[in-house]
Amino acid sequence: MKRIPLLYRIFALVATGLVLAPFACTKPDADYHSASEEWLSGGQQTVYDEGSNAYSHVFPVLAENLERVHEVGDAQFGATFVSPPAVLNAGRGPIFNNVSCAACHISDGRGKVPGAGDSSISTLFRISMAGVNAVGGPMPVPGFGDQIQNRANYNTVKEADVLVHYEEKTFSFGDGSSYSLRFPSYQVTNAYTALPADILLSARVATPVFGLGLIAGISEADVLARADENDADGDGISGRPNWVWDVQKKSSTLGRFGWKANQPSLLQQIAAAYNGDMGVTSSIFPVENCVGQPQDDHRADDPELSDSLLYANEFYVRTLAVPARRNLDDPQVQAGKALFNSSGCVKCHIPDQRTAADMAFPAISNQLIHPYTDLLLHDMGPELADGRPDFKATGSEWRTAPLWGIGLTQKVNGHSNFLHDGRARSLLEAVLWHGGEAASAKEKVRAMSAAERASLVKFLESL
Amino acid sequence: MNTRVSTLLLLAAAAFSSCQKDDDKTTDVTALKKDILVNVSTNVITASYTDMNNKATALANAVTALESTTNDANLSAARQAWKDMRVVWEQTEAWLYGPVSSEDIDPRIDTWPVDFNALDAQLAGSAQFTAAYIDALPEDLKGFHPIEYLLWGKDGSKTAAAFTAREKSYLQALTDNLVALSKQVDDAWKTGYSTTFATAGQTGNSTYTSLQSAYLEMVAGMADICEEVANGKMKDPFDAQDTNQEESPFAKNSITDFTNNIQGILKMYQGDYNQSGVGLEDLVRNYNLSLDSDLKAAHAAAIAALNAITVPFGQAITSQQSQVQTAMAKINALHVVLQNQLQPFVQQYAK
Repeated sequence: MKRIPLLYRIFALVATGLVLAPFACTKPDADYHSASEEWLSGGQQTVYDEGSNAYSHVFPVLAENLERVHEVGDAQFGATFVSPPAVLNAGRGPIFNNVSCAACHISDGRGKVPGAGDSSISTLFRISMAGVNAVGGPMPVPGFGDQIQNRANYNTVKEADVLVHYEEKTFSFGDGSSYSLRFPSYQVTNAYTALPADILLSARVATPVFGLGLIAGISEADVLARADENDADGDGISGRPNWVWDVQKKSSTLGRFGWKANQPSLLQQIAAAYNGDMGVTSSIFPVENCVGQPQDDHRADDPELSDSLLYANEFYVRTLAVPARRNLDDPQVQAGKALFNSSGCVKCHIPDQRTAADMAFPAISNQLIHPYTDLLLHDMGPELADGRPDFKATGSEWRTAPLWGIGLTQKVNGHSNFLHDGRARSLLEAVLWHGGEAASAKEKVRAMSAAERASLVKFLESL
Repeated sequence: MNTRVSTLLLLAAAAFSSCQKDDDKTTDVTALKKDILVNVSTNVITASYTDMNNKATALANAVTALESTTNDANLSAARQAWKDMRVVWEQTEAWLYGPVSSEDIDPRIDTWPVDFNALDAQLAGSAQFTAAYIDALPEDLKGFHPIEYLLWGKDGSKTAAAFTAREKSYLQALTDNLVALSKQVDDAWKTGYSTTFATAGQTGNSTYTSLQSAYLEMVAGMADICEEVANGKMKDPFDAQDTNQEESPFAKNSITDFTNNIQGILKMYQGDYNQSGVGLEDLVRNYNLSLDSDLKAAHAAAIAALNAITVPFGQAITSQQSQVQTAMAKINALHVVLQNQLQPFVQQYAK
């Protein structure tokens, strides 16, 4: 879009919190007004949209030429891939989970989980055998690899389907009222060949993709400084970094992305998703996901995706802005925030992070952001455990999920299913699933009055 | 999907414009603001999806007629029915929020490109085209464009005599699938989302927690389709000089598609879909006549610029480049009015 330079400069001042009053004779809209900078979840890269497109905005502070790169990447993120050969977007499959990035990351947001008895939609299933592979990652399953591709090109056989079943169990709050949680179980069906009986299987819902450039911008030193592997401070919480294989650097690197922090960089995450989820090869992962399997088409067309489009896609994701907080001045929101802090949620869902100085990319440099994560792994207890280790992450550890923007999930994605497999049907259920290191925080929430629980949820909805 | 909220423009514009007096109100604005949401959700958005579902049924019926009596008259009628439904769908793209997006209807209706290898293989194969079978197909084998390809053929010159039995049965299944999907979105609005939208800001509405959020949604939808047409649908094939990226190439319908996208913006603004009603226009005219005329002038200029392209878009990207560039510029200019004038206006007055 066109810019007006003067106003644009004013924006920079406002974003850095220096000036607003001289230009304004009234305050900005009530939803957004607050004396604190807390509403700027993404620092200068915060957008003011609480609508259906809240997750889909380019950084508001970005050079115009880079904005065009973002647009090219946007088209690539939405591009539907088809079976080869084709003149446009060739290279999908032979087996895959979905046809485009946007088909799972709907509106750049959270994927849907299948209903009971449904086959998966924007959820996929990672699988592995016990043990580790040559670089310390999960051991692939012979004949299947490390994920079940449940779709295939014409005349190719898919690997399998996975059906979901839920069992309801009832629990009580401290005040005597009850709540119910649904426990998922999975059944692999239609496998094209026998699956070993002892596979480890883990459901993964597509995660929101906004704000990831800022997450990438947090310095490794800052992440590691919060780690407390042996709980030296005795608070019952032992955040651990995941160390994962960086295929470009060919070395073990801090993991940041994914439900178990098993990807070191956005580029590798995206290239892995192209390869694993869509069957599209790139320079980073040039070998088809079904090599050695009967589905392999043996076409000599790899890599199927050009580096320019791969990098544009990475840039698109890197420059998706974060929606601003809403209703910060609402007393109920403030009460909920106090409860979030006093219950100990805040010990892992760290509100304030500062991105490192980055002279090469000022757009993400030195920003105070509020992702509500420490990017570390925590034991979440046996009920949330998937039993499938991923590099240093054990079968019961998960990366603290960022909470920014989570209150807009219902609006953007039309559902309120949370956690790695979408089992939680509301924000409160998600809280109540926490165990392990979060057990004491969960217990405090369980002991809350109904009014307090409502305040806590109201706070989460303001994120 | 790429949209930019120009934060400061919004804040600064709100700050400047809020200094104006607003003592010349002549209507009950509080009631008007609610009436607009009711009219828009019922008589614009829901009505448009009902209309689309009716047009889908008409298309399916036309295909049934073509299947039973395969002649050029019935082929021509089916093509017209496709175009008629396309008009509605493209207009609704000015309000791509709610169930159509969250229930993933859009990609199943309107995905480009088509997987021609798989489509040819389907036609050569022997699978029964049941509803469940079509449902399980990838997005690039169903919806408008495979139907378009089957009706027109790759160069747009297909005759009724060229249809195979298998093509006809695939066509029938695909059009039935369109009926089901358009019914799904119509039902979702009729049975709940219409109320959700119309009651924005009222107690218990957890989706639209303020009246203003529904107004901002409307404006964002209008602005987004400008962005999508000018900087995506038109710019991508134009910059690449690649006709393969054109959206409705077989029916040569792309410019009509773009025009209807932009027409949807005015329908939303005026609150008039098949009948006259209150819309944003009525609120704007109550406070700011110059914004109203700026918006209408920018809209008319965008439509005129699209109309000035006289050959199919796939040709125009090489033979009418200045017209194409002008059209993109005029649509971008309309986008600026929506983003930098209408949005701040809503930010200030729709509370």
